[in-house]
Parts: sequence; structure tokens; C-alpha cells
Amino acid sequence: MLSLLLKSMRSRIIPTSLVTISLMASMVLLLSIERIQQGTEEGFNQSISGVDAIIGPRSSSLELVLYTVFHLGRPTNNITTKTVNDIKQRSDISWLVPIALGDSHRGFRVVATQSNYFEHIKYGNNQSLIFLNGVAFSELSEAVLGSDVAERLNYNVGSEIQITHGSVESIGSKHDDFSFKVTGILKKTGTPIDQAIFLDLKGYELLHLGWMSGKKVFSLDDIDLSSLPAGALDPKTVTAAFVGLKSKITLFKFTKSIREYSKEAISAVIPGIALSELWSIVGLVDKGFQLLSWIIIAISLIAMVTLIIASLDNRKQEMTIYRANGASPKFLAIMVICESLVIGLVAIIGAIILVTIVTYFATNQLNLALGISPSFKWISLEEIKVFGLILFAGVLSSLVPAVMVFRKNLHQTLS
Amino acid sequence: MLETLGLEYHYQHGKKIVFPEIEVKRGQRLLISGFSGCGKTTLLSLIAGALKLQAGDIKFDGINYSSMSSLLLDKFRADHIGYIFQTLNLIPFLSVSENIALGIRFSQSRKSKVNDLNQEITRLVKSLGLGKEVLTTPVNRLSVGQQQRVAVARALLGKPDLILADEPTSALDAETTKKFLNEVMDAFDSTKQAIIMVSHDASITHYFDTVIDLNKQHA
Repeated sequence: MLSLLLKSMRSRIIPTSLVTISLMASMVLLLSIERIQQGTEEGFNQSISGVDAIIGPRSSSLELVLYTVFHLGRPTNNITTKTVNDIKQRSDISWLVPIALGDSHRGFRVVATQSNYFEHIKYGNNQSLIFLNGVAFSELSEAVLGSDVAERLNYNVGSEIQITHGSVESIGSKHDDFSFKVTGILKKTGTPIDQAIFLDLKGYELLHLGWMSGKKVFSLDDIDLSSLPAGALDPKTVTAAFVGLKSKITLFKFTKSIREYSKEAISAVIPGIALSELWSIVGLVDKGFQLLSWIIIAISLIAMVTLIIASLDNRKQEMTIYRANGASPKFLAIMVICESLVIGLVAIIGAIILVTIVTYFATNQLNLALGISPSFKWISLEEIKVFGLILFAGVLSSLVPAVMVFRKNLHQTLS
Repeated sequence: MLETLGLEYHYQHGKKIVFPEIEVKRGQRLLISGFSGCGKTTLLSLIAGALKLQAGDIKFDGINYSSMSSLLLDKFRADHIGYIFQTLNLIPFLSVSENIALGIRFSQSRKSKVNDLNQEITRLVKSLGLGKEVLTTPVNRLSVGQQQRVAVARALLGKPDLILADEPTSALDAETTKKFLNEVMDAFDSTKQAIIMVSHDASITHYFDTVIDLNKQHA
């Protein structure tokens, strides 16, 4: 029967393949949306690990996580170093890493921090940062590069770089009076860390010595660095601080007491909770897209059934000859159902191939746009269930033409 | 082998036909003639088991059609009957060989009578005056006469007991009809197989042992 069916379908190749393609495209749409969403979520969630809380100016917790961890958007406010030092003294804190953001180098964000950043900040499944080459900075004129920065700009240990004030390069915005020497390059993490340049906070403060309100007032060339008084390079403010607690049990108590800190309006954000806030917003949009894809799949299935029903009239001769030669109505009905099965299976196989390709490119795009690189996945059990459901719906809807064929009187067609 | 017992048929539009009693023996060649609309095709459909019996019965080798379910009738048709249509006998997307092979596609008993399918198809095609090259010719490039011969080959494959032909010559000219019937009558096994042909062509009656004129029956 299969060979008869395939030959029959081949004789109607154009409409059949068009319907198959539309079904396939709708499945690709559904799965791609699902995969990109999952990939983004996974990528985001893997981007920060080991950090119990992020302390920053009082603002939206999501905003704070987005600019401190993902370098998306810009900080609205800073917190004073005095406050940070105050918090550092707390007995429930295990470690604290301050960061200052705002500058960049050829499109890559600069993160000014302390060298203990590389020790405490983790990614993925609690994995530590590893130096591919070199070591962490120890002098204020040294820098560490994320792997993408080194790779794309072709920098090595020993390269000299200059920093741009702000995130966009424009005339007069360059800190061209001071260069940093690269001392280390981090191993690829698949997180925004790969696209960051790390400096010592003191070096960062030095860069801004001659700046006021975003304008350069005097050049560092005119200053004798050794004549600076002690503590002159200690930053007055930082953007945020990553905190690790001695015990996670105290986390909520800790965040509450930070909110109640009386000397400055600050807050402590738990990254995981802020991110789940993000997913509940993104998820809503995503649900909408998913619903839309299911509707498109339903439309494709209706188109398939319409095609089968429409073709029955053209296949009258074919069906009559089968019947006259002794084929039962059941045979013809099964043939019709199998046709939808073949269309469904071909569409599914095509969709799997296409989705794999789409995922591959989408992963690259996610990496370029957000710095995250979710792991590449083959077809999942969940997706196989979706395919099964679509196949089942296809077979179910083909029962309509199947019953039509089954009920058709042979005599009506013989004469 | 086959006999009809008091067959009647009521059409939905109210017309009623009472068919004459028919008896066909093995090897017999029966022609049913009559004008259009006299119920020729209906009678053939009833004998083929394609149309549900309303009144009367058909007996084939002692088995009553009325005792068989429609599923059994399909199987029965596959095993015992070869059917030839007026036109459009062939499935355009199948090769000539595949079209002929359809004759035994749905019958185990007819399949078992064919040892070497390709050889048997070639033999049938040759006996019907067709060249071997026809087997590889696309169906839609065959002449109507060639198509009808291919249909006969299919009906004869696996030696069914009864060949039913519904005006197989209506699309052929007089000369081709003559040649066609000569070959068909030669190809079919006059010792075992019977043929019932429906036609309104009075010029072909001499090919048949028995002629039943449905018009006369009603007159």
C-alpha cells in the first residue's frame, strides 16, 4: 500500500509538498520560539553563579541585575564606597567584590573591580573563572580580558589598551593619556564575562582624576603619579558590589537589613529572583508567540485536510479502480489516513533538520547580542511529545476524508 | 456458476427495473445489450457486488451474495471477478505493468495462480496483440485501444472465474472493436472463465454464446 500511496502522492507532488512545507514551517516556528526562549533563559541563568546578592542603589532589582551582570542598559546611580565598606564589616558576609561600570574599549564594556573578582565570581554550574593565559591584574595599570575581547580584537598578554569614557567612542572621549597592559586572558565561559575588560578599581579611579561631569578637565600627563597622596586613588563611589554570604540561610535576613540601611538608599538583590521576574515578563510574550504558532499549526493541518478532501474528487478514477479490483473501503480509508501520516512525518523530519540549523544560528546570535551561549541541543523528549501531538492531530483530522472515502458507494463510482 | 434470482432494483428517482433471470456457466460468453438507461451497468454492478442487493439474490458457485457482508463481497470480487470499465481503466501514475499487477493486488488466491508475475504480464500483453514496449510506455501515451487491452490483461491476470466488461468497446472504432474482441476472446480461457459484457453495439453479438436484450425484456 505504501508504494501505491507514495506514487499517488508523487502524482500530486506540488500541492502535497506545499502543504508539507507549510506544516513544517509552522512546526519550526513553534520549536524555534521555544528553544530560543529556553536557550536565553538557560544562558542568563548560567551567567551568574556563586553570588548570593548584588548590592546597588535602590532601583528596580531587574535593572540592577541586567546592568551589573549582563552589561545591558546603564547604571542610574552609584553607591558610596563608605557604605560598601560598612557592609563589608558585617559578620554574615564571607566576601564582597565592588564593581564600577561606565567605560568601554572598542564596544566592549569595562568592569573596574578588585582582583578577588576572579576568585569569587563563578558561572554556569558553580564553575570558577580560569585564566587561559597570564594572571589577574595586580597593578593599577593592568587589565584582564574576557575571551571574546581577546579573540575579536586580537589581543594577547602584553598588549596595551586605552579606555573610552562612556560606552560610545567619540572625539575627546578617550582616556588617551593612560594605557593598560593586558596581564591575563580568561577562558571562554559563554557568559557576558567573555565580552568584558577588567581593570583595577584604582586604575579606573586614576583615569577619572582629571574628569568632571563627563568632561576632561586636565590630562594625566601633567601629573606626577608618585606625588599623589595615599588614598587619592581610592574610589569614592562604585556601581554595585557582589556579595557572598557565610550561610545562605541568612540571605533573606541580609537583604532585609540592607534595605533598612539608614545612611544610604541601597538595596540587595538576589540574582535568581530578579531573573525569574524577567522570565515571568518574557514568558508572557513567549506564551503569546506559542499560542500563535499553535494556531498556525492548526491552520496548516486544516489546509492538509482540505487538500486531501479536494484531491479525492480528482482521485475518483484511482479509487474506483482499486475498489473494482477488490480493495475494501477500509483499504482506501487507511490509505487516506496514511497520506496525512506521511505528510506529517516528512514535515516533522524536515522541521527537526531546520530547527537544528535555526538553533545553531540563533545560538550564535544570542552570543553576539547578549554574550550568552546556551548549550547546543538535539531534539528533546518534550519536543518529541509535541511532534507526536501534531502527528496525532493530523491523523485525527484526516479521519474526515477517510470517512468520506469509506462511505462512498462503489456503484456511484462504477457507473 | 452464476445465477440471478428475481433481481429488482429501485432507483432513488423512483424508476424500478425487474431484471431477467440470468444463468452463466463456466466458459460461457454472455452479452447484455440494450439502450442507455435500461439498467445494464446496474446489473453489472449488482453482479460485481458493488451495489447492495434490494430484492432477489445472486448465487455464485452456490454462495448467495445476500449472505455476504460488504467486506466479504470485496474479497469475493478480488478473488473471482475481473472488471473492465468503459474508459479510464488505468491509473495514470502507475506503469502499465503496475496497472496490470493491480488485478491480483487484493487477492491471495489469484496471486497464488501466478508463478512469475513479470512473465505472466508479458504473456498476457502479447496475447492481446500488444508489443512488449507497451509495458514501459507511460499510461497517458497509450491509445484508447491499447489502454483497453491493458485493462483486459489486468482483468485476466490470476485467472478469475468471471470477467465483467462494461461497454469496453464504446470508445473504439468499428475496425479496432473487431480486432480487440478477437484478441480478448482468444486470450480468455474458454474452459474455465466466463465473460459478461454489456454493450449497445449490435454488431458484436456474434462473439457471444448468449445475448440478453434488456429492452426486449421490458417491452
